[in-house]
Order: sequence, then structure tokens, then C-alpha cells
Amino acid sequence: MANTFKVKVNGGPELAVDATEGTLLEALEKHQLEMHYHCRSGFCGACRSTLKSGTVRYTTEPLAYVRKGDILPCCCVPESDLDIEH
Amino acid sequence: MSYSTFNQEQNNPLTEPMFLGNSVNVARYDQQKHSIFEKLIEKQISFFWRPEEIDVSRDRIDFNKLTASEKHVFISNLKYQTLLDSIQGRSPNIALLPIVSLPELETWIETWSFFETIHSRSYTHILRNLFSDPSEVFEDIVINEQIKIRANDISKYYDDLIFYTQLLQTHGEGDIVVDGKTYTVTQREIKKKLFLCINSVNALEAIRFYVSFACTFAFAERELMEGNAKIIKLIARDENVHLTSTQHILNLWQYGEDDPEMKEIAEELRGDAYEIFMTAVKQEKQWAHYLFKDGSMIGLNESMLCQYVEYIANLRMQAIGFDAPFENQRSNPLPWMNKYLVSDNVQVAPQESEITSYLVGQIDSEVNASDLGDFDL
Ligand SMILES: [Fe+2]
Ligand SMILES: [Fe+2]
Repeated sequence: MANTFKVKVNGGPELAVDATEGTLLEALEKHQLEMHYHCRSGFCGACRSTLKSGTVRYTTEPLAYVRKGDILPCCCVPESDLDIEH
Repeated sequence: MSYSTFNQEQNNPLTEPMFLGNSVNVARYDQQKHSIFEKLIEKQISFFWRPEEIDVSRDRIDFNKLTASEKHVFISNLKYQTLLDSIQGRSPNIALLPIVSLPELETWIETWSFFETIHSRSYTHILRNLFSDPSEVFEDIVINEQIKIRANDISKYYDDLIFYTQLLQTHGEGDIVVDGKTYTVTQREIKKKLFLCINSVNALEAIRFYVSFACTFAFAERELMEGNAKIIKLIARDENVHLTSTQHILNLWQYGEDDPEMKEIAEELRGDAYEIFMTAVKQEKQWAHYLFKDGSMIGLNESMLCQYVEYIANLRMQAIGFDAPFENQRSNPLPWMNKYLVSDNVQVAPQESEITSYLVGQIDSEVNASDLGDFDL
């Protein structure tokens, strides 16, 4: 289970996310969270979220501007447990 | 001071600001100050499409079945979008090319504007199919009061920047009298106008389009005007790339990653930038009101549209460093919008998917043998 991390969204419960199964956006959708998105491929930035703790890895290079402290869940996977605001 | 199409001064584009440094001489991309703009060029070009490839012939049948109030919604939106793309097809070129200083950004601006001309041509493609003479629709764009209010608010920032740039490039800095009126032209004043202009363009591409997008996709949800929806889906995808580019420009300034003077101006004019956005929000809500003045359409009404404007304004304003202004509109009131805004990527075989560019001449290809009854070789 080295690829599974605990992800907390908007102070909610910890959700298990397998970093080998799709993007963080897809994983959170599987947990029935209402996610903001448009392009789902890193260029529009609509899924922009605040990373309060943890690290992510981009599987596609984001073309949207990623402001300090932000992440784009549509094109990244967790590299550690995460706490995010979405 | 005057613009040169090939600035012979030896300059280093890696140390130039995005705008109002030396004009670009060699169009070279082997070294780049802000390589994001070349990546956006590549992305945009990979999305190339032609309006003629999309079959809109069935829309004519659908259009005739719409109620009068639905026809008003549909045509008004097309007029408004025609206005927006008329402005966008020329203004980034005219306003920004004379003052741009990086080759990759110069080429991005030209690419961006070119795609807006595809959008403009697509509206004629749609309207030609609906009316034997679409000129009445086009002619109303410069008469319609509701559209004129918006046109003025969008073009004034561009026009102001263009005029002051012309003064700078013909007279240099100083007090310049034109037709009895004195204009104080300084580099900093032009930078302020540039900042406001980019904020206005950002707001345009961030939210102004989305009221009409929502109506288009609401028709498509009812399987109406689907040819039009395919075109608008492609336009929406392009607009997202454009939007990303102005968000980059604004954030690069704000974070001091480009011109230090622009960082100061971004702080100084933060309130004005906020107002530009909020004015656009207000105008789009008024537009929603105008669209539905004679009645709603199935699946969409004025209040849902206004909620969507607030929802999307929250996302867009956070992208450039503002707090979300509409705290109680954090969830998407029109969740079905997202499926039209997802970028069709190349993962699926085109013939199996809804990739719009593949659906060419669908109607025309439905030919029966009887249609060829009298046909001899
Ligand atoms: Fe456009
Ligand atoms: Fe655009």
C-alpha cells in the first residue's frame, strides 16, 4: 500500500487515494466529492486547490499558472498524505 | 521612440520585460524568458479546427421549432459572441504587438488573435445555415443597446492603450496636444493602461462568454442546436487557453517575475482590477436578464445563470489572487456544463467519440438509392 495516501479535503474525513490509479481529481470524484474542473488536462486551471500540507507530483505539466501554495488536481497525483482546500 | 519592424539595437530578450522594453527583432525561440507562452502556442495550434468541418445543417430544423423567446436567447447570444470575437480577433494584435518585447509572447499574441478569427468565421457559418440572409443579425450588433453597453466597456481599455501607445511612439513622453486636448504621456502611465487592459481582457475571456456558453449547452442538453454546440465547445476550449495566457501575464507581474514597475502598478491598481471584474459580473447578470426577458427555456432561467456567473467568477478571481467574492456560490449550479468544457483529448478513436472535428457532412452522407433514381452515368 505504499502508493496509497490519506487525503483530507476542506477539513473533511481522510480519504484513501491510490496514486497509481488516475489523477487526484479522478480519485476525489470516486469518493463522491463535487470537484471543480473544466479541461481536465492542466491548461485551464479550473480545478485549482490550495495545498495545506503534503506534496504532489505532476503527471502532465500544468500550463495554467500555479500560484504559490496551489495545486491542479486534474494533472497530479499525491506523493504523501495531503490536506487540501478545494 | 517610433516603432521599428526590425529593431536593429542588439538587445538581450532574456532580460527584456514582457511589454514596453525594446521591440522584438529576431523571432527566435531557442532561448526564452517565459517559455510558457511557446507552450501555449503549441497547445493552441494542436487545437486547430475549421468551422466548415462541422455540419450545422440540422440546426435549421431545430431552430424553426424553438419558441420565440428561445429564438431570442439563441440569436442574442450569437450576436454578443460575434461582438466579442470581432474585438478579440484584432485587438490583441493592434494593442499589444506594438509594445511587446519577447519573441515567444509576440508569437503567442498573433496565434491567439488568429484563433479568434476562426471563431468569428464560425458565427457566419452558423448564421448562413439558419437564414438565407444573415445580414439583419449582423447589422443589429452595432445598433442593439444591450450589446453596445458591453462593447463600450470592453473596447475602451484597448482603445485607451492603443491611443497612448500611438502618442508615445510618435511624440515620445511629455504633454502632447491633440485637437486642443492635452495628454500626459509617460511610460508609467502606459503601463497602467496596459495593466487595466489585460485585466479587462482577462475578465472577458474568464466570464463574459459563459452566459452564452451556458445557453448553448442548455439547448444541447435537450438535443437541440447540436451543430452549434459542437462549434461552441471548440470555441470554449480555445478560450480556456487564452484565459490561461492573461492569467499568466497578470500573475507574472504580481509576483514580480517580470517587470518590477508592473509589480508596483499591480499593487497600486489592485482595486481597479477588482472593479473591472465585478463590473463584468454585473453586466453579465444584466445580460442574463435581457436574454430571458420574454421567458425562460427548459433547464435554464435567469437566476441559475446568475448563480453560474458568480460561481465561475469565484474560480477566475482566485486564479489571479483575489478572494472569492461570492462566498455562498461555491458549488456549481449547472453541473452539466462541465461535460462540454472538458477538453476532447486524443485518447479516444475519433469515430467512436464525440470529437467534433470528425463529424463532417453527417447529413449530406445520408443518401438513399431512390435519391439517385434519375441519375445515369
Ligand atoms: Fe474567441
Ligand atoms: Fe479568446
